[in-house]
Amino acid sequence: MNPLETRGKSRLILWVLLAVTLILYGFPFVYLLLTSFKTPLDAIAVPPTVWPEQWTLENYVSALSREGVPAALINSVTTAVISTVLSLVLAVPAAYAITRFRTPSGRVFIIAALVTRMVPTIAVGAPLVEIMRSLGLTDTSFGLALAHTTISLPLSIWLMASFFEAVPDELDEAAKVDGCSRLQALWRVVLPVVTGGLAVTAIFAFLASWNEFLFALLLTSVRAQTTPVVIANFQTQFGLDWGGMTALAAVYSVPVIILTLFLQRQIVAGLTLGAVKG
Amino acid sequence: MNDRRFALLLMLPAAAFLAVFVLWPLARFVYDSFFVISPFAGAPREFVGFANYAAAFASEAFQNAAVRTVVYTLIVVIAEFTLGLAVALLFTALGHRSAVFRTIFMYPLMIAPVVAGLLWRFLLIDNFGIVNELLYRAHILASPDQIQWLSDPNIALFAVALPDIWLTTSFITLVLFAGLQNIPGEVVEAARIDGARYPRLLFSIIIPLLRPVIAVALIVRGIDAARAFDIILIQTDGGPQGSTTTLSLLIYRTMTRFGDPGLASAMGTVYLFVMLAVAIAAIMLIWRPGSTAR
Repeated sequence: MNPLETRGKSRLILWVLLAVTLILYGFPFVYLLLTSFKTPLDAIAVPPTVWPEQWTLENYVSALSREGVPAALINSVTTAVISTVLSLVLAVPAAYAITRFRTPSGRVFIIAALVTRMVPTIAVGAPLVEIMRSLGLTDTSFGLALAHTTISLPLSIWLMASFFEAVPDELDEAAKVDGCSRLQALWRVVLPVVTGGLAVTAIFAFLASWNEFLFALLLTSVRAQTTPVVIANFQTQFGLDWGGMTALAAVYSVPVIILTLFLQRQIVAGLTLGAVKG
Repeated sequence: MNDRRFALLLMLPAAAFLAVFVLWPLARFVYDSFFVISPFAGAPREFVGFANYAAAFASEAFQNAAVRTVVYTLIVVIAEFTLGLAVALLFTALGHRSAVFRTIFMYPLMIAPVVAGLLWRFLLIDNFGIVNELLYRAHILASPDQIQWLSDPNIALFAVALPDIWLTTSFITLVLFAGLQNIPGEVVEAARIDGARYPRLLFSIIIPLLRPVIAVALIVRGIDAARAFDIILIQTDGGPQGSTTTLSLLIYRTMTRFGDPGLASAMGTVYLFVMLAVAIAAIMLIWRPGSTAR
């Protein structure tokens, strides 16, 4: 039991306090969900109501059938998947090398990767437009995924390094004694031990791309546009359609929230690890 | 092949990727800051030395945006830390039975900043925002449109910070909660026996023991808040009267709308180097090699 745990009567007060905090904290998104089920007119009623007078799926139907919306949802998935795979493929060997061989170059590299996280997005994004153009990757999901990987790769290296750190070196040694090459030791012996860590890293890489906005705004226009950009354009393009906007926001957020509830143990591990280590 | 070579080989792909897609763009960005560039692709550029920097520092817009970025970062970090610590202590005091609630508390972390910005704009909007309506019904406000959250230049910077605080207080909470689990019980018990009350316990024992965790959490959040872009763009687009134009927005606007990539790059380069300097100084202070398991 944690020494800071409280017993007795004050516990009840704390539970009430916690309940109030959670209601306040949960309210914005609950309100978004409730609004998405109102009629478009009710959604902007004055004065506003919390509960829908009439439940309807109208907003969902209109938002999802809008030009560009289904494509944007597909683009978001495609970009996030490519970026996640790329991030893992690059991060796993690098993190393994950093933790297993402890060379000076490894130490320099992991700090350099950490510093990358501090760069303002706009400073990378603007020149990336030119670079993507010269690579012929303008307005493609692959080009955007490359840009997103600049965000997720440093974090992935840090997370994977922490997970590898927890695996004893003796495991690799034993694998080598059994005749594995160094690469085989990583692939067949160490990697299966850190599948949990691999999953955490994948989730974070996926989320980084899924929620990213500025690169998507700069690097895509029509074909590869992702959902956050479409959501941002909603108001100007279609007038003040708060009902449709809340519906699309719900479609975009609810699946990841549900996924998180299932994987919360891993995600908490990743968040605290990522923060405590950098 | 020796270990050192093998390690280099394994790091090479990731290093090459970061060199091509981060270092090279950054170098170009800094290089561009010495030119006057026409916004049209392929148009001529003229080398002007530090003229863009002089223009940036002389520009009132740049000075104001820099101040706003600092203020915004402070608002976000202070609010998140205070709330985050309070909730982390609450969870700790309630013990393992609070696990389910910790999960629920975490959900905003998964929401895209664009969605959060939009949602809060909807909550705070002048005529039909639910926040003012609820405050009005609770008799805190005299009329539902008394506070013009996002259109009053005096408070807009605070209002645009709300979604950022809402989105990531959970992050601070989780990190501090994890730190609180590692506080040695004997120290707390000993202080209790010596008659220390809770505030004393908090400021003399808990916070000092959490120092490294607190520092890392604040740096991570501070950097992210100083880079905030989407969350502000979607709520106010930098307005009203430029009162929420932080550096990210000003640089973006100088680049795209006003069509002066050279000046934007000079502003961005200053921003970049200040961020790196602050961050590296902070890392040096906290990250003492050899002090942890690493």
